[in-house]
Amino acid sequence: MKKLMTGNTAVSYGVMLSRAEVISAYPITPQTTIVEELSEICADGRLKAKFIRVESEHSAMACVAAASATGARVFTATSSHGLAYMHEMLHWTAGTRLPVVMVNANRAIGSPWSIWCEQGDSLSQRDTGWLQLYCESSQEALDTVIQAYRIAEEVLLPVMVLVDGFFLSHTSEPVEIPDQKAVDRFLPPYRSRYKLDPDDPHTFNIMADPSIFISFKHDAQKAMDEAKKVVARVDREFKAHFGRGYGLLEKVRCADADVLFLTMGTAASTAREVIEEYRKRGKKVGLCRLRMFRPFPARELNKVLSEAKKVAVLDRDNSLGSGGIVAQEVKAALYGAARKPKVFEFIAGLGGKDITPETIGEVIEHTLNNVNPGGEPIWMGVQE
Amino acid sequence: MKKKKMVKKKPSLPPMSLSFEGTQASKTGTWRYLTPTYLNKLAPCNEACPAGEDVEATMVLAGEENYLGAWEKITQENPLPRVCGRVCFHPCERACNRKEFDEATSINALERFLGDRAFQMGRGFRPPQEKKKERAAIIGSGPAGLSCAYHLASLGYAVTLFEAQPKLGGVLRYGIPAYRLPKDVLDQEIDSLLSLGVEARTGARLGQDMMWEDLKKYDAVFVAAGAWKSLPLKIPGEEAAGVRSGLEFLQKVNSGQAVDLGQRVAIIGGGNTAMDAARSALRLGVKPLIIYRRTKEEMPAWEEEVLEAEEENIEIIFLTSPVKILTQEGKVKGVECLKNLLGPPGKDGRREPRPIGGSNFTLQVDSVITAIGEAPDLSFLPAELRKSADSLSVDETGATALKGVFGGGDIVAQPRTVALAIGSGKKAAMAIDAFFRGQDAAQALRLARWGDKGTLSMARYRRGGGDGLAQEVVKFSDLNLAYFKRQARKPKEKIPASRRTSDFSEVNPGLSPASALYEAKRCFNCGVCNLCHNCFLYCPDLAISARPDKLGYDINYDYCKGCCICVEECPRGAISVEVRK
Repeated sequence: MKKLMTGNTAVSYGVMLSRAEVISAYPITPQTTIVEELSEICADGRLKAKFIRVESEHSAMACVAAASATGARVFTATSSHGLAYMHEMLHWTAGTRLPVVMVNANRAIGSPWSIWCEQGDSLSQRDTGWLQLYCESSQEALDTVIQAYRIAEEVLLPVMVLVDGFFLSHTSEPVEIPDQKAVDRFLPPYRSRYKLDPDDPHTFNIMADPSIFISFKHDAQKAMDEAKKVVARVDREFKAHFGRGYGLLEKVRCADADVLFLTMGTAASTAREVIEEYRKRGKKVGLCRLRMFRPFPARELNKVLSEAKKVAVLDRDNSLGSGGIVAQEVKAALYGAARKPKVFEFIAGLGGKDITPETIGEVIEHTLNNVNPGGEPIWMGVQE
Repeated sequence: MKKKKMVKKKPSLPPMSLSFEGTQASKTGTWRYLTPTYLNKLAPCNEACPAGEDVEATMVLAGEENYLGAWEKITQENPLPRVCGRVCFHPCERACNRKEFDEATSINALERFLGDRAFQMGRGFRPPQEKKKERAAIIGSGPAGLSCAYHLASLGYAVTLFEAQPKLGGVLRYGIPAYRLPKDVLDQEIDSLLSLGVEARTGARLGQDMMWEDLKKYDAVFVAAGAWKSLPLKIPGEEAAGVRSGLEFLQKVNSGQAVDLGQRVAIIGGGNTAMDAARSALRLGVKPLIIYRRTKEEMPAWEEEVLEAEEENIEIIFLTSPVKILTQEGKVKGVECLKNLLGPPGKDGRREPRPIGGSNFTLQVDSVITAIGEAPDLSFLPAELRKSADSLSVDETGATALKGVFGGGDIVAQPRTVALAIGSGKKAAMAIDAFFRGQDAAQALRLARWGDKGTLSMARYRRGGGDGLAQEVVKFSDLNLAYFKRQARKPKEKIPASRRTSDFSEVNPGLSPASALYEAKRCFNCGVCNLCHNCFLYCPDLAISARPDKLGYDINYDYCKGCCICVEECPRGAISVEVRK
């Protein structure tokens, strides 16, 4: 069945179809309507889940982590400051290897105060041990939530699904709602091997002495490495079931491109149009949309980028004192590659500023017209 | 069934830091030096109820909308909930812990609701399973006599009620006006009680229609003839036509006889009889005037009665004593009075009135009703029972100097309330049962007691004590108030004063079903586990489990390390702590 729905509604449908058993969240714009809708879905019985209201995001994460530790399939959603408030619990959840699925609606972190889109909130949590999957459309958001449970429960790592605040969270698009039975076939109930069990109680998160601590971290790293394969496989299986797949990254007209435009999230939709315009004018421009940021698909990316002469990376974030976070990762991935494109870095769309076709046009134009990147990222639309 | 262990062998590291050994290996119970145990305690309302009702348990059942169950709980102890629900002075509400939080639970009005509800649903008393051979005679069919008859009949004994008046009920019928207790309600309550097989002989005044010797054929006698002698004012003019006692007046009005009070009547006294007389006179179209020698603060009448009299615009002249009744041709013309000051407190703690010399003034009235106190009439009793002139002497079990003869209600020395009369009738029924069975009544009553205020429970008596309920009364400070939210008490609905004084129809319409349920749910359930689950949820050692029979919880002392969080989080003080391993 096809329905017109916002990204947030699509997420709540994805959670419902995944048969989450415990949901706990604290409201924050632009995430709120996800859990608002889920609370209604729980209240009217469409989803038999325990919906736990809490007084903060820290508690929300503690709540779903504990529920997950008992073997329940869990969900929470947050945004920006809420995600920042969860920071400590993000580490604990990943360290306990709990398959928690969370949706974060990307929003700038103050100050200045802002409720609008920026990806810095989730990118600044990149080292907490969570997988990160960035969505471009409402359909992808719904599908990715379902995939996320399969992935998380297989690799025993939490998964963060990212939707751009307002551009995706609050914008309506037609979405194909998968059949519940089909989702059940794709996503069987969660069977946890390690869980809090009153009949055989064990202590979780006991202290690991220096001789052994590193082993747990190494094990988590191995799981992250494994996750690259699992994300790809789950996506392929999803495509077999539902006819839609997204990959770790998406290539549009990349094969013969001289200039590759690389970004994450909804800016890719705009870029698709711009690239077609350039193609019409005979310019060999392609698009690479990065869907998975953690684990970072360095090898896969390398393969795509090494065919191009130049890469224009558009970051909707900035690591103060360094530069765009995606660009840093891209450059690091190219280190040691036999053929390296030149990487042009752009910072745009912070705090909800529109990334328009003109913005992307300027980025591509600049990349086409310059032989070498200047060494510093170019900031788009700064008021002098 | 043995479950598969989560972690099998030591060498393979789990992905998260997880103890190899199950935590059950560590018996944290060995750390304990404080031991929590479930121990239901006494709610203050239960201890305060002179009729010995299990108010707390009644509230739980009513809160579950099990109104018939709640009614049964009440009538285990008191056969007259529709009467008490209307006329009781409800000391339970004064003892209610909730009054420290917001306002007391509306126990009295709820009792009435439950009684009326059970009647509407056609619910009556269950006859006893076995009949016993002993027979008991009861002198007086007021609340004490009715209560004793009910409990003895329920225990299987043959009971005969002797009543001097033409109808049963005593003070409930002839003392309390119909606007407080409608006669049809009383009739229904008595009919239901008689259906247990109680024999009633009305118009049988002892010493007149029958003799003490006629009672010899009974195995036990309960004397509950009340206090029907009015105390005289001892002032000149008292013998004039138009001066009558409050009891005589109420008796006539309640029997439907005409009484001529003229235009204006003075009622002397500040007790309940005075209030009842004044309000009844008002309903007969007479202007009443209450004369009381002290101030409102010292009035012995129940606060509610005074309040309702005030609502009805009944004039009360305080700090005034009559010194002479003025007459003309042998008929009342007025009352000469003196103004008083209040002196230091007397024996009962109330400040004594001191007349002001020369403050004489006259009130013009057409009749006078005296209501300064009542005393029992003991003249029909044998000499052994008349040792004290003021009252029938009884011991703590209600037994008199004569073997097999017991006394209760207003005829014995005790505060004159309906609830206490009902309680004393129940006490006598227990003592008579013990007497018939050749048991020590004092011991049997001790096992049936609830708290330290003399309250007795028939349920406890029948069980011979042991119901696991401690005698300790739960104080307000024993409750965890975090679990209660402030909720205003439903005000008692009343017919406005302007519409209620033209006849004797009931003043108080009672609680609506919604209000009754709301009030039942306001009850804190002090001291008694109501399965709220807090202890289970809070126990950090998972040492508490809910019992499968839903009668409470069990503590696994292998793992209870004595943190007593359960005790702290119990909203109602139903868990006790002992200092022991």
